Amino acid sequence: MMRLLAIGGFLTALALFAVIEWAARREGSRIPSLGEVCAFVMRYEVGPVPVGRIGLFGFWWWLGWHFLAR
Amino acid sequence: MDHPRELTVEAPRAWDRPVVSVPVLICLSLVGGQLPSFSAQANLYTLGTGGALIWIGLNNRVPRRPAPRRLGRGAVWWLLPATLFGVLEGATFVLAVGDEFPTFSRLADPLLEDHLVRSAAWFAWLSAFWGLVRR
Repeated sequence: MMRLLAIGGFLTALALFAVIEWAARREGSRIPSLGEVCAFVMRYEVGPVPVGRIGLFGFWWWLGWHFLAR
Repeated sequence: MDHPRELTVEAPRAWDRPVVSVPVLICLSLVGGQLPSFSAQANLYTLGTGGALIWIGLNNRVPRRPAPRRLGRGAVWWLLPATLFGVLEGATFVLAVGDEFPTFSRLADPLLEDHLVRSAAWFAWLSAFWGLVRR
């Protein structure tokens, strides 16, 4: 039962990501695409250090390492 | 010499076109898909490809798409799937009851044992990484 709950929940979350991205790409949509959200996060800087860029790259690097190397 | 933070280029460089970048990503993914989990090769390959992309991404010479200066209120919609995923992943991780209530990575592991699926996952990871580098 709990296993089905986990699988259903993860699938629902992934489906929601896809649906919101689809909605964001419609003409005149007020929802930014996931790429635009990431680009906005990557604008964040502390002084000369691109903290947002480093953080997002680091997170994505770790994600790939976690799933594809571990 | 300072480089502009956001570069837009009218004519993309030859290596920057999809006809070049996509086959390169496919080749890298096919190699990555052959490397088994927990192997030194897989670790080195992941660290190497990711490190190279981070180096390119932090180097201002690569042309980037302009980033939005602010996000509209519609951006809050993204919190819905992110929160659902985060809460579920957190709960499954903290409870740590294995296959009874598995984490996302525990569910993905059996799928990623297949070389073709693994290569597809590599392609998705590298493509998204390349997309981030270009942002």
